[in-house]
Amino acid sequence: MLKVLLKKQLAEVFKGYFYDAKKNRMRSKGAVIAWFVFFGVIMICILGGMFTALSLSLCGGLTQAGVGWLYFLLMGGIAVILGAFGSVFNTYSGLYLAKDNDQLLSLPIPVRTVITARLVNVYLMGTLYSSMVLLPALIVGWAVAGATAARVICGILLFLIVSFLVLILSCLLGWVVAKISVKLKNKSFITVLAALVFIAAYYLIYFKANFLIRDMLTNAAVYGSRIKGAAHVLYLFGRIGEGDWLSTVLFTVVTAILFLLIWIGITRSFLKLATAGGAAAKKRYTEKAVKAKTPFRALLSKELIRFTSSPNYMLNCGLGVLIIPICGVLLLIKGGEMLSALNDVFAAMPDAAAVLLCTGLCMIASMNNMAAPSVSLEGKSLWIPQSLPVEPGTVLRAKGAMQLLLSGVPLVFASVCGAIVLDASPAARLFCVLLPLAFSLFYAGCCTALGVRMPLLSWTNELVPIKQSGAVVIVLFGDWILCIAMAGLYLLGGHRIGAVPYLLIWTVLFAALGVLLLRWLDTRGAERFQAL
Amino acid sequence: MLNIEHLSKSFGEKKAVDDLSLHILPGEIFGFIGHNGAGKSTTLRCAVGILQFDAGSVLINGTSLAEDPVKCKRELAYIPDNPDLYDFMSGIKYLNFIGDIFAIPAGVRQERIRKYAGIFELTEDLAQPISAYSHGMKQKLALISAWLHEPKLILMDEPFVGLDPKASHLLKEMMREHCDAGGAIFFSTHVLEVAEKLCDKVAIIKQGKLVKAGTMEEVKGDDSLEEVFLELEEE
Repeated sequence: MLKVLLKKQLAEVFKGYFYDAKKNRMRSKGAVIAWFVFFGVIMICILGGMFTALSLSLCGGLTQAGVGWLYFLLMGGIAVILGAFGSVFNTYSGLYLAKDNDQLLSLPIPVRTVITARLVNVYLMGTLYSSMVLLPALIVGWAVAGATAARVICGILLFLIVSFLVLILSCLLGWVVAKISVKLKNKSFITVLAALVFIAAYYLIYFKANFLIRDMLTNAAVYGSRIKGAAHVLYLFGRIGEGDWLSTVLFTVVTAILFLLIWIGITRSFLKLATAGGAAAKKRYTEKAVKAKTPFRALLSKELIRFTSSPNYMLNCGLGVLIIPICGVLLLIKGGEMLSALNDVFAAMPDAAAVLLCTGLCMIASMNNMAAPSVSLEGKSLWIPQSLPVEPGTVLRAKGAMQLLLSGVPLVFASVCGAIVLDASPAARLFCVLLPLAFSLFYAGCCTALGVRMPLLSWTNELVPIKQSGAVVIVLFGDWILCIAMAGLYLLGGHRIGAVPYLLIWTVLFAALGVLLLRWLDTRGAERFQAL
Repeated sequence: MLNIEHLSKSFGEKKAVDDLSLHILPGEIFGFIGHNGAGKSTTLRCAVGILQFDAGSVLINGTSLAEDPVKCKRELAYIPDNPDLYDFMSGIKYLNFIGDIFAIPAGVRQERIRKYAGIFELTEDLAQPISAYSHGMKQKLALISAWLHEPKLILMDEPFVGLDPKASHLLKEMMREHCDAGGAIFFSTHVLEVAEKLCDKVAIIKQGKLVKAGTMEEVKGDDSLEEVFLELEEE
C-alpha cells in the first residue's frame, strides 16, 4: 500500500517533467529525459557547485585554525535551513492541503499510511535540498582533513541526522503555517509580504556573504571558543563531522526522540487540519449601501480584485508597485550624487543623465506586466465577459487600465523624484516625467495586446499563464531590449541632436504607439477576444 | 423573442450544429433536449454571442446578434452548464459587478439581491468567497445574477444540475413566473420528466440537426417524452 502511495506522490511531484501543461498532453520520452537532465544540471552544477566553492573557502582555514567542527556546524546549519525553508510550503501543501486528502481518507487505507507516504515525500524533498549543501561539504571535509573510518561513518550519520532534522523542522513549520492559515485573513497580502521579506533577507545575506566568510576565517578561534562555551550543543553537532562518536550517538538519540514526538503530534492533528478546509470563521453577510459604477469601472475593479487576490500574480507581475516608489525614494536620497556622476562620465553629451534616468525608470516599469497574463487568467470564466453586454474592447481596456494605474502612478512619483534631483535644464526634467508616463501607456497597451494575441486558457495552475506564457516572456525581455536601444542609440549618435529633442522623439513615439495599441484593442483585439 | 434561423457551427471537420432553426415566443418555456454532444450547448453559446457561428442568424427581439451584440446581450441572461464564476470575488461582489454591467440602480439592485438571495437561502453566504461555494451554491448565485437585471430572455444550460430539490422546485416556479410576465426561457436538460411537466414547447436535437420541435402535445402525442426521445434516438 505504502509503495503505491509513494509512487503516486512522486508522480505528482515530478508531474511537470512528464506532462506539458501548456499543450495539455504528456511529454515525449526525449523531452522527459531532457527535463530531468536539466533539473540535474541545475541542482548539481549550480547549487552543488556554489556550495562546493563555499566549502572549499571555509574548510581549509577553519581546520587549520583547529576549529574543524565549526566548519561542519556552519555547513550543517546551512543544510538544515535550506532544507527546511525549501520544503516548508511543500510540507504544508503536501501534508495538509493535498487535493486528494479527502479521496485517500475515504479509501480503506490506514491514516498512518497516508501520513507516512506524505512524510516520505517531505523527507525526500528536504533531503534533496540539504544534500546540495552537505554532500559537497562532507566530501571537501574528507578531502581536506582526511577520510578516517570514524569521520566517514560519522559523516554519513551526520547526513542522516541533518535530513531528519530538516524533516522535523519542516513538519513543525508546516504545522504552524497550517494553523495560521486556518485563521488568517488577507492571506494574499501576508504571503506577498512574507515572500518579500524572504527575498530581501536572501539578498542581504547574499551580498554580505563574502564579508561574513572573511570575518569567520579571520576570527575563527574567537568565534569557536565563544560557541563552545555558550552553546555547547552546537559544538557537539559540529564534532559529528570530525568523527566524534559520543556526539554522534547523542544527536542520533535526540533526533530520534524529536522525530517520535513530531510523529505523535502529526498523527493526532492530521485529520483535524487536513479536513479544516472551511474551518475559518464564516463571514456573515450584512447589507451595506452600494454605489453603482459604470461598466468600465466595474471591469477595472474586477481586474484589481483579481490581481490582489493572488500572491502568485502580485509577486510575478506586480513587484514594481512596491519597487518603483522605493526607487523614487532612493533617487531622492542618492540620486543627485549618482546622476551628476553620470553627467561627469558622459560630459561630452549634455544631459545624458536625463536620458539614462528615463531608461532606468522604463526598465523598472517592466516589473509590472499584470495585463499580459490577464486574458489568459480569465480561463474557464471567459464566458462571463463574453456573454455580458459590454464591448470586448472595454474589457481589454480595463485590463490595460489596471496596469496603467498600478504602474503609471508609482512611475510618476519616481520620475518626479528623479527630476527633482537631476541637474539638467527644465525641459529635460519635464521629459523625465513625461517620457516614463508615455512609456507606461505604451507598455500597458503592449501587454494587453500580446495577452489577447497569445492567450493560454486551458491551464490548471494559474502559474502557467503568469510565468510561462509567451506574452509575459516577450513583454519582459522586449521591454529591456527597447530600453537598452533607447539608451544605446543616444550614446551612439542620438546625443548630437541634444537630450531634449531626443527625449521628445521617444515620448511622442511611445504616446503614439500607445494610442495605436488602444485603437487596435478596440478593433482587431476586440474581435480576437470575442472569438476566443 | 429569440429567432434562430439556419444556424450552423463547425469545430474543424465536425459539424456541431447543422442548419438549425428555432423560434421562441414571449411567454414560452422552451426545452431543448438531446444526447451528450448533440449540439445543445453549442447552440446556446451561439445564441448568447459567446461562440461565433459559421452561417445563419440569431435575432433577439428583432435585433441581430451579429450586428448589435451588446444590445442583444442587454436583453438576455445566460447560465452555462458549469457555472465557473469569478472564484476570487465574494458572492455579493459578483452580484454587484453584474449589477454595474447592467447599470441597475443601487437601490433596485439591493432590493432584488435581497429578494432572490432570500428565495435561494444564500443571503448569509454572500460575503463568502465564491471559491468556498459548493457547486449548488455557485449555481444558485448564477441564477440570482441571471434574474438580477430582469432580462426578457433567459438561456440556461442544464440549470437543475447540482440544485437541491427545494431549489429545483423554486427555480421551476421562478421560470413559470418569468414567462407568465411575458419573458421567455430557452433551456437544455437531460431530465425529461422536468421538461415534460415544465415546458410549453420542446425541441429535440440529434447530431447537430433538429429532429423534432413544437408544442409538448405536438412532439409527444399520447406517448411520454421519454418514449419519443428514445425512439428518435434509435432511428
